[in-house]
Amino acid sequence: MSEMIRYKRSAESASASLRRLADEDLMQLVTENDDAAFAILYERHANVAFSLAFRMCGKRQVAEEAVQEAFLSAWRSGARYDRTRGSVRTWVLGIVHNRAIDALRRGVVHDRGRVSDEGIEERLEAPERTEEEVGRRDEAREIRTALDELPAEQSHVIELAYYGGFSHSEIAAMLETPIGTIKGRMRLGLQKLRLQLGPMQVLS
Amino acid sequence: MSTTSENHCERGVDVGAYALGALDEHEVEPFREHLETCAECREELSQLQGVIDSLAIAVPHARASADLRGRLMGVVHGEAELLRATGHEADRPERARSVWRWRVFPALAATGALAAGVLIGALALNTHSSEQTRVIQAQVLPPAAGHDATAALRKVGSHVQLQVTGMPAPALGRIYEVWLKDGSQPPEPTDALFSVTGQGNGTVGVPGDLKGVSKVMVTEEPAGGSLEPTHSPVIVASV
Repeated sequence: MSEMIRYKRSAESASASLRRLADEDLMQLVTENDDAAFAILYERHANVAFSLAFRMCGKRQVAEEAVQEAFLSAWRSGARYDRTRGSVRTWVLGIVHNRAIDALRRGVVHDRGRVSDEGIEERLEAPERTEEEVGRRDEAREIRTALDELPAEQSHVIELAYYGGFSHSEIAAMLETPIGTIKGRMRLGLQKLRLQLGPMQVLS
Repeated sequence: MSTTSENHCERGVDVGAYALGALDEHEVEPFREHLETCAECREELSQLQGVIDSLAIAVPHARASADLRGRLMGVVHGEAELLRATGHEADRPERARSVWRWRVFPALAATGALAAGVLIGALALNTHSSEQTRVIQAQVLPPAAGHDATAALRKVGSHVQLQVTGMPAPALGRIYEVWLKDGSQPPEPTDALFSVTGQGNGTVGVPGDLKGVSKVMVTEEPAGGSLEPTHSPVIVASV
């Protein structure tokens, strides 16, 4: 067996071993500067991270920058991940959300809170390839349905805040509504969503 | 199922906005301090966190591009390679810099180079490490030079890394590619492809140890890289 074949088999075997690890164990390796472990984490969460950034930014290039910055931050600050405070996915998506908000507030995106026409093409181009992805799409659909079932004034402020990156005072000015009312709608909407979603909130 | 109606704290009305990241900037820190002392608000926030996590995935599915993966992993592999080469020393903050001795080689800048940026060769010796670190400042050429961009090669032992700051991102569908040039020979392509963050920062491992290389160059190329340069160099480092 040539050296190259032996090397390739060894690399494949190492990669297969890593793939069997849970996210939290891979994160431990990432803190030890293991780029192969990081690559697997990226594969697992890249699409959901990009989907969130794309929903918020509406432009592929801006969304890609937000995701790239977020994952680089995760790579460089992996030691900050605390498994007692949530899953790796939750942690990564939190960073992506913050980076996307930064982009929104830098004014890189002009249609905050909207999905652009680019988004429509994107959804058509994203085929459901794996069972896991199909499951996630169903899960996302159920959450969106729950959001749609909220009173419109509650779902509207939640969407403007979470996906649009607007602060409550910006939303209050936009809707010409007192700040206290906006805060109340946010809180009530989130509480109703919590009751509606119930056990679904146990996310991997 | 419990509800969040048990929270009677007067600051409780801020919990939803805080969870959504919608408090105004000046309100965030005071509310964090409040959370440290208010068990009711902490409990409500903890209950709402699951909803926030759900919102993050309740979006239309979109697929991240292969280019994004290439750019990101190019940087990550480069950094990992350097960290492996330098071991624990690399993890330390750069506080040791003050004890490094720097010897600046004569400037190699030509008239055009002066307009674009300064080209300096520098040798840095880390007195606390057995391995020599050589830093070669590279010339950043227009149009990238107009962005206050900098680029430097860092050689630790036999490992070489290119670090850039303030570089403009490559055009959509393109990527930066590193080339190695030996005298008058045509530049040799490498698998070192990279992009930059929103701040224009990027790092990539340069293959080989620069033996027999007179110049390291970077050009913008179609995603996936090219076998021959299709654009003029935006970075040139004389080795």
